[in-house]
Amino acid sequence: MKITGKLLILSLSLLLLIPPAFGAGLEEKVKEHTLKNGMKVLMVERHTSPTVALWIRYKVGSVNELSDERGIAHLLEHMLFKGTKTIGTRNYAAERPLLAEIEKNASELMAEKLKKDKADKGKIEALSKKLASLEAKEDAYVLPNEFSQIYAKNGGLSLNAFTAKDTTAYMVNLPSNKIELWASMESDRMKNAVLRQFYTERNVVMEERRRAYETEPDGKLWEEFLAAAFVAHPYGLPIIGWMSDIENLSRTKAESFLRRYYAPNNAVVAIVGDIDPRKTVSLVEKYFGSIPPGRSVPPVATVEPKQSGERRVEVVDDAEPELLMGFHKPAVSSPDDYVFDVIEMILADGRTSLLFRKLVVETQIAADISAASVPGSMYPNLFLISATPRSPHTVAELEKAINDELELLKNKPLSRKELDKVLNNLEAGEINSMGSNGGIAYRLTEYEATVGTWRYMVEHRKKVARVTPEDVLRVARTYFTRENRTVGFITKREATR
Amino acid sequence: MKRIFAIFLLMLVAIAGTAGAAASPDPRSMAFPPLKFQVPETERIVLKNGMIVYLLEDRELPLVSITAYIGAGSVYEPSSKTGLAGLTGTVIRSGGTAETSPEQLDDELEFMASSVESSIGTDAGIASMNCLKRNLDGTLRLFSQVLMHPAFRSDRVELARKRLLESLRRENDNPKELADRELIKAIYRGSPLGMHPSPESVSLITREDLVEFHRKFYHPGNIIMGVAGDFTRQEMVEKLNRAFGAWKKEPVSFSQVKIPETKKKPELYLVKKETSQSVIRMGHLGIDKNNPDIYALRVMNFILGGGGFESKLMSEIRTRQGLAYNVDSDYSIGRRFPGTFTAETETKAESTAKTIGLMQSIIRGMTERPVSEGEITQAKESIINSFIFGFTSSASVAGQKAMLEYYGYPREYLDNFRKNISRVTKDDVLRVAKKYLRPEAMTLVVVGDEKKFDKPLSNFGEVSEIRLNETK
Repeated sequence: MKITGKLLILSLSLLLLIPPAFGAGLEEKVKEHTLKNGMKVLMVERHTSPTVALWIRYKVGSVNELSDERGIAHLLEHMLFKGTKTIGTRNYAAERPLLAEIEKNASELMAEKLKKDKADKGKIEALSKKLASLEAKEDAYVLPNEFSQIYAKNGGLSLNAFTAKDTTAYMVNLPSNKIELWASMESDRMKNAVLRQFYTERNVVMEERRRAYETEPDGKLWEEFLAAAFVAHPYGLPIIGWMSDIENLSRTKAESFLRRYYAPNNAVVAIVGDIDPRKTVSLVEKYFGSIPPGRSVPPVATVEPKQSGERRVEVVDDAEPELLMGFHKPAVSSPDDYVFDVIEMILADGRTSLLFRKLVVETQIAADISAASVPGSMYPNLFLISATPRSPHTVAELEKAINDELELLKNKPLSRKELDKVLNNLEAGEINSMGSNGGIAYRLTEYEATVGTWRYMVEHRKKVARVTPEDVLRVARTYFTRENRTVGFITKREATR
Repeated sequence: MKRIFAIFLLMLVAIAGTAGAAASPDPRSMAFPPLKFQVPETERIVLKNGMIVYLLEDRELPLVSITAYIGAGSVYEPSSKTGLAGLTGTVIRSGGTAETSPEQLDDELEFMASSVESSIGTDAGIASMNCLKRNLDGTLRLFSQVLMHPAFRSDRVELARKRLLESLRRENDNPKELADRELIKAIYRGSPLGMHPSPESVSLITREDLVEFHRKFYHPGNIIMGVAGDFTRQEMVEKLNRAFGAWKKEPVSFSQVKIPETKKKPELYLVKKETSQSVIRMGHLGIDKNNPDIYALRVMNFILGGGGFESKLMSEIRTRQGLAYNVDSDYSIGRRFPGTFTAETETKAESTAKTIGLMQSIIRGMTERPVSEGEITQAKESIINSFIFGFTSSASVAGQKAMLEYYGYPREYLDNFRKNISRVTKDDVLRVAKKYLRPEAMTLVVVGDEKKFDKPLSNFGEVSEIRLNETK
């Protein structure tokens, strides 16, 4: 459950990423309230500053996409900043017919382009021109970025959103006298979102894909690695979508996804900071109470088949070597997942961890090393070790050295002191994480949405405390096998020439 | 008459429709209860040996944190040994202390789940600690040892050197980092501010250099600390005196730092990389915090490219034209030395020239036309209303106070900040744009595949190619 290391490409953010950790001491502090329409509200009062963090997390992520709408969860997240029937437009009634025309034109264009070599070039050109002129017409009605402007003017900070494999979240920090602004804006967005300027934003997402994956060697390796590790489960697909997927996304698809899943019963709200929970509940009731519930998000049916042999992926690029090593493991809150949390900290958390001490400090084969559970947590996922070889040492040497350490873990029981160190660090991490409104809201909504209860944060350390040295031996022997392993690495292009 | 009635009915429908959709006050004109806020009070004390400490008690969580600013920086390292300051900052922590070996230091700290960290940047050394209240004594003892008596054990010096060399080998892998670095080097060329470590300079650094660099700058009179968390004032003052009391005051001298010249002409650099997206960076030398126009500049840059979605760069290049995911500008106010003005984006190779042209014209536009009433209101209200987010944790409040004194900001800086922003006018914005933006003399760095560009870069001026060191 802890996410560390430099490969933080776990979720795609509208702007940037939020660092996670876990929390405690808060069992008594969390106030829960569920609206009649199923929307769950979690509140924590903290009066350190007159500010409040406001989060809405939907229990839907990229894993819930169908095969012809890959990338839509993320593109929709971008689109939900384009305003509503009353925000971001000068005249929605006049804008609406144009939106329909744009959609019709864009669908024809996509259909023609899909014919590839057989496509009619003249038709493509005409449709593209028409689309551009329609969009220019629509622009006349649009008040660009009015949605974010209203928040900013009111002192809103860190207005953002991210799409992960399992969930999607929308957040803002506001001065605490402005909770009603949030309730008004977000209930309007839940009911009346208008996905205007869709095809321009689709271009923005293509630039985002180039920026984060195509021109970033680590990003490229990450995509290829996941695609190899998962042959069936959607955890293997990029959240942002492959380029050709994005090129064929439409506003119709985005609206269908929106209507299918963005209902209050699929939303978890966290309000953390300088609040009066009683008043806050009545505000939330007033604005969200009348929104009808939708159907709940069905679980992903596909189960990743058991891996039957090592998989290896090479990315040749204009970059120095990197190594990723992943092993399939069970989902969050399954018994062995707690053992993996111990293993993660023992292996790679801090300067005294086994891999850091051995490979970075002693043998100096690696320049850096980290471990994490990826790329989501609701479904069986991967235990990932990522490492950077230090020249002149090679990926092969580093891989062998890591495997040697994993063998040791299978045979040499941990001492009580090592386990106590893990528990001490979990405790300090929990307490430190209680110092930020946004951090608390992140975790409350994360666990409520993925595990089914925010109380996971409270119970986590108790469960970890029951992990024995024998559990670690057993789990290491069960999962750290050649058959269960996926290895990904970067080879420098000039070395292949 | 009839026609008028029909129009009246339509209007009613429109109004009813709006009211039905929102069923609540318009978020654009919503009124709010007043917000109570004062900049939190910290206490400033001076220890007998001259160390300045800002204290802020906070009992919410059983934690104590310290951030210390040490007068040092890479601007004070010899150019033949670029990298010395950074390496010293690292090994102060990783090399053990006179009393505690590196291994023991790591073991003790990590068993307590305490952190002690150290680094040296361009114009400051920073050391920090964070611990559970129950581990305060043990952590503070190690933190003070690290600051006062780092051992710089030679194998740890070598380890840090090797890791730094490895990161230098990799510094061209990421095109964005590569472009950032080349822009800063070009803007600050000829000054220590523009120096960047090389394998050669890093190889020349000796353990004795590190010892000497620490000896020169790490003295109590050259340190300002922010201390926050779960303690009583009295108890903390005693503990700090016990931990640092034996450290004697010694004078510190700083060499003169050469400030780079302001460029009169544009410069244009290309770094060739076979990528689908070009990295675009542009900018020029800026100003420092003693300039009275810093508030107007803050508002100006917010409107130009600092204000996220609201900025001109973002609205045009991302929202309206879909040319980029990331586009912004930063007028960084230098603290001890002049800062920089920079603007950045990334766009597909085929729209490189178009996007450069757009950015340049938006920047030039700031110097030619006044901003709108709406833009300046939006900017000022955003900056003023979000000011409170600088004070959301006691650790950041105490750290901020230490930082402001370290850089010599006036005592009233925070108290007057909102007032100073509120005074900025449209005329001020145009005036500072004219005075401090130099669209005619910007340095431009592009990393990308020129074959795929929409127009050759030479359209923008004479291009110099930066060839990356291929022997690494």
